[in-house]
Amino acid sequence: MYEAVHAHPDGESTVARLAKTAADYGFEGVVVRNHHGSRAEYDAAEIREEYDIDVVEGVEIRADSPQEAGGSVGNYRTDQTIVALHGGTNDMNRFAVENDKVDVLAHPMADHGDINHVLVKAAVENGVRLEFSLSGVLRKSGGRRVREIQSLRKLEEIVDYYDAPYVVSADPASHLELRAPRELIAVGEQLGFSSEFIADGLAEWGRLAERNREIQSESFIEPGVERGRYEKEP
Amino acid sequence: MKHLPKHLQPRWRYLAVEIESWPDVAIDRRAFQRECWYAAQNLLGDPGSARADMTVVRFEFDDGVGEAIVRVRRGETEPARAAVACIDGIDGAAVGIRVRGISGTIRAAEENYLGKRRQDSEERNVVFGNEERVAVLRECDADVRLDETFTGATDLDYDLV
Repeated sequence: MYEAVHAHPDGESTVARLAKTAADYGFEGVVVRNHHGSRAEYDAAEIREEYDIDVVEGVEIRADSPQEAGGSVGNYRTDQTIVALHGGTNDMNRFAVENDKVDVLAHPMADHGDINHVLVKAAVENGVRLEFSLSGVLRKSGGRRVREIQSLRKLEEIVDYYDAPYVVSADPASHLELRAPRELIAVGEQLGFSSEFIADGLAEWGRLAERNREIQSESFIEPGVERGRYEKEP
Repeated sequence: MKHLPKHLQPRWRYLAVEIESWPDVAIDRRAFQRECWYAAQNLLGDPGSARADMTVVRFEFDDGVGEAIVRVRRGETEPARAAVACIDGIDGAAVGIRVRGISGTIRAAEENYLGKRRQDSEERNVVFGNEERVAVLRECDADVRLDETFTGATDLDYDLV
């Protein structure tokens, strides 16, 4: 299971500290998804080696308009393993699900964003994962938390109906905001999500990273065409 | 009052909980107990909170790290785990919290899951992000002071001065 984190300077802890804590908590990997205005400097290979946890290089693009986001998606697609888009407004949600270069639509229901059947169908078609962000459940209180839970349940109903791809994250911005997988599963169960649903959403980050690494590797030419190992002519 | 016969006494489970915060934070048992109750009530509601009956029976917190044992009713450990996960701050200080394990006795919980972390920390000057800062070091972890706040780092991120 993987967790997608915001590291220093976007968050309050460095990639190494988040990775170390996540490894201790039983995660198999972390996806670094800093907003593109505050990228983290880190050596993924060194951290992977030191703490025995996978570190996936990613980015979360935050833009005010689809035009602005379009350029950034193109720029980061080639060198980042996972490209997420900061959702939450109807324009950006729509842009993300209609763009097959985007891997993940992050917190589509945050602020005043909304999701409907049209957007979810588009997400299925373009393979865009919708994120279930548990941050509101874990870190908000009162009426705002109630609304967060309502929107998560709404998203779950539509995602379940169309069998849409999704990811789950606690969206931590420091090592203190990380929660272990079993805790997230327990919280999910209180909200009415099955334990498989949450575990699957956490694991989906890893599958996504693996797929994109394969696509970005040199042996990949196009879907179905790969450079294999052939004997050299004498 | 006469206490209950053994077969009518409640069965308990003990959650071994690890708590972590920034080095300048002080948390006491009462504050943690209060947050446990709030978290349980907010997530599980009054009936769920009453069923889980979360009580802090052991608590220790020093220099930004701590441990606690929370007693819950048998069969209610998963709701209690969810409630514990929803504690994001105690007295306004951000905390990281994790259930290390669950045991049937306090002693087993302590022996199996707690007391593994080294407590001693030291303050050192370090170079972090090309600037000299003060950091609190514990084993491989470092909390680097940046003006008003701390940044969590490890020994990969800084150089000792």
